[in-house]
Amino acid sequence: MSSRGSLMFLLHAHLPYVNHPQDSAFLEESWFFEAVVETYVPLISVLERLSAEGIRPGVTISISPTLGAMLENEALERKLGLYVESRLELLEKELERAKDDPALLKVVQLYHDLYAEAAELLHKYSGDLITPLKALQHAGQIEIITTAATHAVLPLLARPEAVRAQLAVAAEDYQDRFNRKAAGFWLPECAYEPRLNSYLKLSGFDYTFMESHAVEAAGEQAPNGVYSPYRTSNGLGLFARDAASSREVWSAKFGYPGDPAYREFYRDYGYDGDLEYLRPYLGNDGARRPLGLKYHRITGPGADLSAKQYYDPDEALARVDAHASDFLDRRQRQTDDFYSARGGRPLIVSCYDAELFGHWWFEGPAFLEAVIRRIRTERLPLQFVTPTEYLNSCQEPQEISPGISSWGENGYFDPWVNETNDFIYPAVYAATDKMIETANRYRNQDLNSLSTRALNQAARETLLSQSSDWAFLLYIGSHADYAKGRLEDHSANALRLLSEVIEKKVDEQALAALERKNCVFPRIDFRIFASVSKF
Amino acid sequence: MPELSAQPPAEDRLVLLPKNPGTFFVFWQFSAGRADAFRSSSFASEIELRLSYSDDNSQAGTHRAAWQAGRAYLPAGRGGACVAALYALRNGAWEKLLESNQAFAPAPAGMAADRAYASMEFLKRSQP
Repeated sequence: MSSRGSLMFLLHAHLPYVNHPQDSAFLEESWFFEAVVETYVPLISVLERLSAEGIRPGVTISISPTLGAMLENEALERKLGLYVESRLELLEKELERAKDDPALLKVVQLYHDLYAEAAELLHKYSGDLITPLKALQHAGQIEIITTAATHAVLPLLARPEAVRAQLAVAAEDYQDRFNRKAAGFWLPECAYEPRLNSYLKLSGFDYTFMESHAVEAAGEQAPNGVYSPYRTSNGLGLFARDAASSREVWSAKFGYPGDPAYREFYRDYGYDGDLEYLRPYLGNDGARRPLGLKYHRITGPGADLSAKQYYDPDEALARVDAHASDFLDRRQRQTDDFYSARGGRPLIVSCYDAELFGHWWFEGPAFLEAVIRRIRTERLPLQFVTPTEYLNSCQEPQEISPGISSWGENGYFDPWVNETNDFIYPAVYAATDKMIETANRYRNQDLNSLSTRALNQAARETLLSQSSDWAFLLYIGSHADYAKGRLEDHSANALRLLSEVIEKKVDEQALAALERKNCVFPRIDFRIFASVSKF
Repeated sequence: MPELSAQPPAEDRLVLLPKNPGTFFVFWQFSAGRADAFRSSSFASEIELRLSYSDDNSQAGTHRAAWQAGRAYLPAGRGGACVAALYALRNGAWEKLLESNQAFAPAPAGMAADRAYASMEFLKRSQP
C-alpha cells in the first residue's frame, strides 16, 4: 500500500556530564548506569534486532555531546561493568529468595534477563555503546544528530560568543565521534529564538526541530501547521513537534505510560528490601538508595506505593501491543484527516526524551519495536523517515519566521528561569564573560603548553556551567544541592584557571586533576570563545 | 533564597533574559568600586530599571529595587525585542549606569492548556 503520510520518530538522548573518578559509588553516576541498562541497551537491541530481520527502523536519535563523552569514558565504562556485575550478583540471590513466590520470581527473572542482556551487549562492544550506534547509522538504519555541547538553553545565553561556542564544539564533537558532519541539531529543550538561525547555519547544520507553537506562531506562513517541514530565510530546515502524538506517550495522566499494568517507577527495592541484605549494593555511606530494581506495577490511579502489586511482564506486553495499535490508529486518522482536508501527505514528527523509553516508561522500547514492526507487517500506509531522507525527497519547504518557544512547561523558559534557580545566572555569566575576554586577549598569542591547557580546561568548565540540567534540577527540587554545587564548581574552576593564566601562576597538579575529572571535548580550543573566532 | 558565593566582577554587568511572553528576568552585578559608591551613599540606595522597546526606543516599563537586590522580573509590555537600562540617583538626578543586551520576549501562542511538555509530568509525580 502506498504511503498516506510519514512518521518521524526522534529520540533525544541526553544526560548531564557526571564523572567522579575519585568515588567508587557516586550516587549521581547511577543516572548514567540506569539509563544504559534500562534505555540505551534495550533501544540498541531493538534497533539491531529489527535491522537484522530486514526491518529498517528509520528512527532519528539525538545524542548529546556530554552523553557521548560518558559513553566513551573508560573509567565510567569500568564502573558500569561493575554496576551490572553487582546487580547480577544481587539478582542471583533474588532468584533464590523468590523461588517460592511465582509472581515475584517472574519479575526478578525479567530483571535478571535485562541485566544479563546489558552485560552481553557491553561485552560485545567492549563497553563502548557508541560503536553499535555508529554502525547502525553507517548502514542507513538510523540517523544520529547532535545538540549543544553541554545542553545549554541557547536563548538564555545572551553573548553570541557563548552560543557559537556551544554549537561549534558540538559540531566538532560529532565529527570526531561519528566520523561525519552532523546534518541535524536538536535545540536543547526545543528552545528557539530567531538569532539561532544564522548560528546554526554557520556551524554547518542543515535542519533543526522546534516546538509546535513556534510554527503556529508563524500563522499563515505555515498553512500546513506542524505537518510539513519549513525553512528559515537562510535555508535552515525546520521540523515541528506534533503535540498529539507526544501527549499520548509523555503524559503520565493521559498517556500510555500510566497504564495500571506498567511498571511503577517510584517503588524501588532499594527502599523495600532488608537493609543488611542490601548493604553490599548500596553506596559507601550505606544509606538506602534506588537500586533500579522495581518489582511492582502502577496497579491503579492514585494507588499508594505500599499497595502496589507485583509487575507481570506478560500482562504489560499485552498492553504494549494494544498501545502500539492505538498509537498507529491515531496516526492514520491524523493522516487521513489531513489528506481529506488538504489533499497532501502529512509528516508527523514525534519527539521524545530517549530516557523516557525504558528508564521512565519501562515498556517504551517494546512499544517502539511494536510500532515499527506493525507498520511493516501490517503494510500500514505510513512510513518511518529520517529528517535528511525527508528533506531530500520533499519539495522545497516554505519559508517561515518561527516564534520563540521551548518544549518546557508553559512553552517558554519558565522552568529554567524562576525564583528557584535564577540565582545561578550571575555565576554562569561571570565565567562566560571572563572566558570570552580572556580568549580575546590570548587568541593571537603564542602560549606555552601549560597556559593553553589551562585555557582549554577553562573553556570546558565554562561550557559545563551553562548546562540546562542545573537549573532544571533546582526547579524540580531533585538533587538540588548537587546541581548547585556543580554549577558553583564549574564557574569557580573557570574563573580560577583564567586568573591563573593571566597571573602566570597555573597550578599544574590542580589542572591535571580537573582534566581527568571534567574530560569532555578533548580537542577543544579556547579560541572558540573569542569574539571573532576561527569558526 | 539560595545564593552562590561570588566575588564582585571586575566590571558592572546587566543582563536581560526572556522568561515568557509577559516577563523578562534581569540581573545586575556591580564591581567593588561601584558597590562602594552605593555603600558610601554617592548613589541613593534604590536603582531604577527601565525597559524599552528596541524598535522605537519607547519605554516599556520601569521597576525600582534596592541596589543589592541583584535581580528582578520585569513585565514585558507588548513584547518583542527589548533592552533594559539601570539608573541610579545621584545628587537628585537619575544617571544611567548600565545597558543590557537585547532580549526577545516571545509572542503568546495561545497554546492548548492540556498539551504535554517534555518529561515534566513524570518528574513531577510524587516521590516516596
